Amino acid sequence: MNSDFTSRIRKRTWLLLMLGLAVFLTAHAQTTLTVTGRVTDETGQSLPGVTLLLKGSSNGTTTNAEGIYRLSVPAGNAVLVVSYVGYLSQEVVVANRSTIDVQLTPGDKTLGEVVVVGYGTQEKKDLTGAIASVSSKDIQKLPVSGVDQALQGQVAGLQISQSNGAPGGNTNILIRGIGSISGGNEPLFVIDGYPVTNSGIGNPLNTINPNDIESIDVLKDASSTAIYGSRGSNGVIMITTKRGKAGKARIEVDAYTGFQQVAKKLDLLNTRDFAQFVTEGRNNGYLDNVATGKVTDPNSVRPNSYQIPSILQGDLSKLPDTDWQDVIFRTAPIQNYQVSASGGTDKLRYALSGGYFSQKGIIISSGLERYSFRLNLDGKLSDKLTVGVTMLPSFTKIDDVSAIGHSGGAVVQAALSLPPYVPVYDANGNYTITYQPTEGDIAYPHPVQLANELQINGTQFRLFGNAYAEYEILNGLKFRSTVGADLNYSKNRRFDPNTYNPVSVLTNATATNSEATNWLTENTFSYKKQVGRHAVDAVVGFTAQNAYANSIQAQATRFPDNLIDNINGGTVNAGSEGTTVHTMLSYLARVNYSLNDKYLFTATVRRDGSSRFGADNRWGTFPSASVGWRVSEENFMKGLTFVSDLKLRASYGLTGNNAIGDYRAIGQLRDANYVLGNALAPGLGRSSFTNSLLGWESMKQLDLGIDFSLLNSRVAVTADYYDKRNTDMLFSIQTPSATGLTSALVNLGEVQNRGIELALTTRNTVKAFKWTTNFNITFNRNKVLAMSAETEKIFSSALGRQVYAVTQVGDPIGSFFGRRMIGVFQTNEEATTYGKQPFAKAGDFKWEDINNDGRIDDNDRTVIGSPHPDFFFGFNNNFSYKGFTLDVLTNGMVGQKIFNSTFSINTSGVQNQIQEAFDNRYVSPTQPGNGVYGRAIRGSRNNNTVFSSAYLFDGSFLRIRNVSLGYNIPTSVVNRLRLGSARVYATATNLFTFTNYNGFDPEVSGSGDDVRAAGLDFGTYPQARTITFGINLGF
Amino acid sequence: MKIKYISLVLLALLSTACEESFLEQVPVTERSEVNFYKTTADFNNAVVGVYATLKNPGLYGGGSGALFSMSEIITDNTDLGVTRQPVNLPIFEIDDYLITISNATVGAAWTGHYLGIARTNAILDRLPATTIPQASKDRFEGEAKFMRAMFYFNLVRFFGDVQLLTSEVSSPYGANDLPRSPAAQVYELIVNDLKAAEEKLPATIANAEAGRASRWAAKSLLGKVYLTLKQYDNAAAKLKEVVDSKAHDLMPSYASVFANTTSFAANREVIFAVQYLSGQIGQGSDMWSNWAPFNAGTVLLGTGGGGGGGFNRPTADLVKAYEAGDVRKDASLLTTYKNAQGRDVADAYVVKFRQQGALNADSDVDFPILRYADVLLMYAEALNEQGKTADALPFLNQVRKRAGLADKTGLTQATMRLALEDERRVELAFENHRWFDLLRTDRYMTVLTAKGLKVLSHQKLYPIPLREIDLNKKLTQNTGY
Repeated sequence: MNSDFTSRIRKRTWLLLMLGLAVFLTAHAQTTLTVTGRVTDETGQSLPGVTLLLKGSSNGTTTNAEGIYRLSVPAGNAVLVVSYVGYLSQEVVVANRSTIDVQLTPGDKTLGEVVVVGYGTQEKKDLTGAIASVSSKDIQKLPVSGVDQALQGQVAGLQISQSNGAPGGNTNILIRGIGSISGGNEPLFVIDGYPVTNSGIGNPLNTINPNDIESIDVLKDASSTAIYGSRGSNGVIMITTKRGKAGKARIEVDAYTGFQQVAKKLDLLNTRDFAQFVTEGRNNGYLDNVATGKVTDPNSVRPNSYQIPSILQGDLSKLPDTDWQDVIFRTAPIQNYQVSASGGTDKLRYALSGGYFSQKGIIISSGLERYSFRLNLDGKLSDKLTVGVTMLPSFTKIDDVSAIGHSGGAVVQAALSLPPYVPVYDANGNYTITYQPTEGDIAYPHPVQLANELQINGTQFRLFGNAYAEYEILNGLKFRSTVGADLNYSKNRRFDPNTYNPVSVLTNATATNSEATNWLTENTFSYKKQVGRHAVDAVVGFTAQNAYANSIQAQATRFPDNLIDNINGGTVNAGSEGTTVHTMLSYLARVNYSLNDKYLFTATVRRDGSSRFGADNRWGTFPSASVGWRVSEENFMKGLTFVSDLKLRASYGLTGNNAIGDYRAIGQLRDANYVLGNALAPGLGRSSFTNSLLGWESMKQLDLGIDFSLLNSRVAVTADYYDKRNTDMLFSIQTPSATGLTSALVNLGEVQNRGIELALTTRNTVKAFKWTTNFNITFNRNKVLAMSAETEKIFSSALGRQVYAVTQVGDPIGSFFGRRMIGVFQTNEEATTYGKQPFAKAGDFKWEDINNDGRIDDNDRTVIGSPHPDFFFGFNNNFSYKGFTLDVLTNGMVGQKIFNSTFSINTSGVQNQIQEAFDNRYVSPTQPGNGVYGRAIRGSRNNNTVFSSAYLFDGSFLRIRNVSLGYNIPTSVVNRLRLGSARVYATATNLFTFTNYNGFDPEVSGSGDDVRAAGLDFGTYPQARTITFGINLGF
Repeated sequence: MKIKYISLVLLALLSTACEESFLEQVPVTERSEVNFYKTTADFNNAVVGVYATLKNPGLYGGGSGALFSMSEIITDNTDLGVTRQPVNLPIFEIDDYLITISNATVGAAWTGHYLGIARTNAILDRLPATTIPQASKDRFEGEAKFMRAMFYFNLVRFFGDVQLLTSEVSSPYGANDLPRSPAAQVYELIVNDLKAAEEKLPATIANAEAGRASRWAAKSLLGKVYLTLKQYDNAAAKLKEVVDSKAHDLMPSYASVFANTTSFAANREVIFAVQYLSGQIGQGSDMWSNWAPFNAGTVLLGTGGGGGGGFNRPTADLVKAYEAGDVRKDASLLTTYKNAQGRDVADAYVVKFRQQGALNADSDVDFPILRYADVLLMYAEALNEQGKTADALPFLNQVRKRAGLADKTGLTQATMRLALEDERRVELAFENHRWFDLLRTDRYMTVLTAKGLKVLSHQKLYPIPLREIDLNKKLTQNTGY
């Protein structure tokens, strides 16, 4: 049987299955009756916007401005589920009544809460998977540009670290650990049902205004993510935007403004200490490297590297004490304005908003601006046909600064390195020249000049639009079709003038225009039915998605002057275009079945075909199954009144990771150009092997969970144990050089993430003074179980650092890898006696001889720490009393190590250094320091700056992430002002961090999204402390 | 009910009509193997790709390549004039004779040369079956074989027995069990390749093709191979062909051999060279800025010229090695430079490849691999080793004369050897010959230890990179490592 024929058969089988199911599900029809009524709160006031849902179906409505509803229900034993945020859900048996008024009582909202799952919604009590929800209220507490920053510390199992403090800077988002070594680790984002591909400038979540988000649901286990098949293994984050509710038009204005400052400055050496440090470093280096050298030798006989600047040999009291941090950091404003309107009738509901957000960076010449809009419409065209649309246009603008990395081209490291005796400006008010060093000093770009004159700008226009039509074919059976597009147009411009470092920088400019368009069509049948004790909720569907990306770049150099700050000012010398297309076809199905509302079963399956997979391995199938037992519904539990709810859950399933890149299965050729006849000659060489079997990564996940709440839901606990095994990973195996290539992409290996998550919510006091506590904690253990060979090591580094991380069997991904420092030699004799480091002297690092060959070299490297935390947690408290609310969010991570490369590079008596390293350094046997810091030496023959445990520091921290104090202006005042509501608030973000870490901030990762090289601190853009004041008005 | 069926039909249509073609996506802005190696242009591009390997970091590219460290810094010619930092540890390991099996420079050389070999094999595998014109076919074959021979010649001299591959490996696992072949077998391939190359390659290279290999390049290299194999009669015969052809000659001025102002047509001395071109297109040479004194700065290198790398710093011993009046000294190295304050800083550096005003790592000066002075001195060596010292002497003196030095006279075979050794050292300084010369004459221990250098006898071969042994259990390590 040829493969074409096989696939056609496969196709037909799928179609038949789906058709059969659809026909089966449509086989019933019933008579209906119309119910009306009014919904009120505990005081008898009408409640607009209350959701009424026919139990076991998706048929429902909401109350209008007067709290009145009208709904068609089948005759017989129909049950209405009445729910409203902040109130206990009620179930009302219709019993053929035509008028039913309902009074809701406030209370625990969590059980009746509707959770957004893939291709549908479910009530929280019916969930069998591990899903955590965050409401808009919790997102909007923080004045941040992206929702990812607001989620930090809110969800167990969701590890978010802001590795870059720049406005719109990168965050690392991991759900239940690092699953993939070489593929992507970012979860799938689904906006209003649309799985989006991230693209554009900076962090893509910046293009979504957090205030437009109604709720976020984090899908963690296989049962909930398998419906997303080959994209589900890193977890899924479902973002639901705010939609209109029937009722009176409601207009809201939200505005806040405030300022940000660097949360911590480093304590650097002043000129006097610096002079001492430099003198020691240069003298030590001179004596070690030049056999005939003497400390008393003048500069004229010393090699450049060991000269001591004359200025430091003169009167130091006349020299300035510049702290370069003071001139690159600033107090930066932040502001946000949003106007939104929502309302409608039961026929047409609308929600729209317009917002403006602006955040200047705490480093000069950086900032982010965003204009965002939202339009959501839902229309009920007939009793059977509903249509709707989501439109989220946004325009984002980033002014970037080259902040991160080596001092040669980045502001922060330059500021930390520059000698304090150099003034910022010369006598004429011009930038001091810092690029023409003499007497052993080295060149730096002037950080202020660099920030101001190197221009890096980006803009992105994003239009996310999704439209749906839903038709109720029969009672309970619906067909839904959605068509959507996510259109991104972005632009990056860079202009690098040769002003701040003419020694090695030539004026050059780059212009890049990118386009990323993504379209999706999804067609699903859903069926909801309750017959007696049996409730079924099923969905089957078919989807097709296409992602196209194109970018065009042009570069120019040879600028006659710096008057024109774009490529037009010079000679265009390079240009390129890149296009990628990724297509996917999928079939999906899910059945939820519950018996007696006690025994819950869910089964899902998705079949994905993807253009990314090799020709001989194009389709993958991803099944999952889960069960839940609502123990609290059992009769034997009825007596235990202190138990409000108790449910046990278990799930197991297979998901995939298709983040393996486009065209990776196809052998490619790359430019290998040369010069012939004194002109550029285009050449080509093979750059990758063909692997027609290359496919997705497979994740098998087991989840065991328990949800329980006690004491009238005053205490609610969710706990999960999970074991994730990622196999068939996208793996770049090392190949012998003799093949002509040094690596090849194959699927192999295994990584395990195992962990425990615990989320605890307690309502400590519920009277006039309300106090709620949310606590969550996650313990995750990451371990590589298999690679292509037992001995294989994948070495990693970032920002041009030497290798500092390894991925190997038996250890977590990206473990720190280097020599183990076992002390500082106190005397030359001690170094000689040790005998394994031929050039070591007193004050040099002593390393362990790992391989016991009597000699210390690169073969003595071993795992010396992990950049991943042992556990992380969030501890959030909300207080309210009368009109006042106080929210205190704290979060923390414990056990991770950080490679402080800023400190390691600055230990040579060339760059400036932190005071702690100076105070505790080795000077002599009588002044040995604290045994952690070695001597100052330039060009150490012992190679003290080789990566070792001496440069690893504990990164554990506890952060007071957010404190927000609000006051709801009393109704009497509000009414006098003719307002619907009014609230004022003040927020302090990143208020204080408890940590022993000696860098700016322990939440740092210089490698961006590369998890194999995490935990590097090297000229980081530090985090800001933000204070804002806001007002929220409703009309 | 109607809508239901319509939608089902739509769904069915959508899912069947375009499934396979919808998922069939091939790169549109990158070239893939699927359609390559068909036309003359394709093969030409592939051959250019072979030449481009010369700019691999394992050879001459990316920080001046691995070769200068492995053939100059390891000798008494140069050292590394950089402040010690972990990043340059691999080169210091070579400088200090503390070479480890994981040395990154040695690893890069291994990998870079095999990359070039794979590219030549890909061409040589496919040429027989193509229908491109015979003339192109012959030339591409000659070029691929010349280059393959050169790559293997470096490998066999650095590592001894090496893996011998003569066709492309299409599976990632295709070389996992490939053991090392005896050096003699490798030399057999080298000699055969060069014999084929001298047949197939043209005698003259048009200006528009400057940089491609000629017949004389193949013959010169073959002469060098024979000399290394101590087949002195073969070597002398082959080198004589080059000398007698008059295709190449010494340039009247030593400095003009390396000047970027000397055109290809005018430069009769260079037989084969790495081609460089400025213009910020990734084809410039970094031998000037990289080998200028560490941190010298703008005064020496000019605006945009780079900071000065301090790599390949001439030793005091080399500075002394030039005889008084040798014009090659100032054309090859200087010992001081002026800093921004106008003060002299004592730090020797290479000026052979100087291009004043060039941007950082972007100079035009080509780097000679084979040139006529080398041919003359090799020819003299081959003759002398056959006992024809008197016949050899004129070729030595031809080189000395151009350098402004008096003729040598009255040499015995033994003193001629030493004279050639000294002459090659200064004539060919910084051109990656010194280490191979000392190995060929087996004088590396005597010469280097006499100067207090701590070279170890087993270091005549570099270690097989640890990475390769980890991937292939059949690879053995060289003794002493």
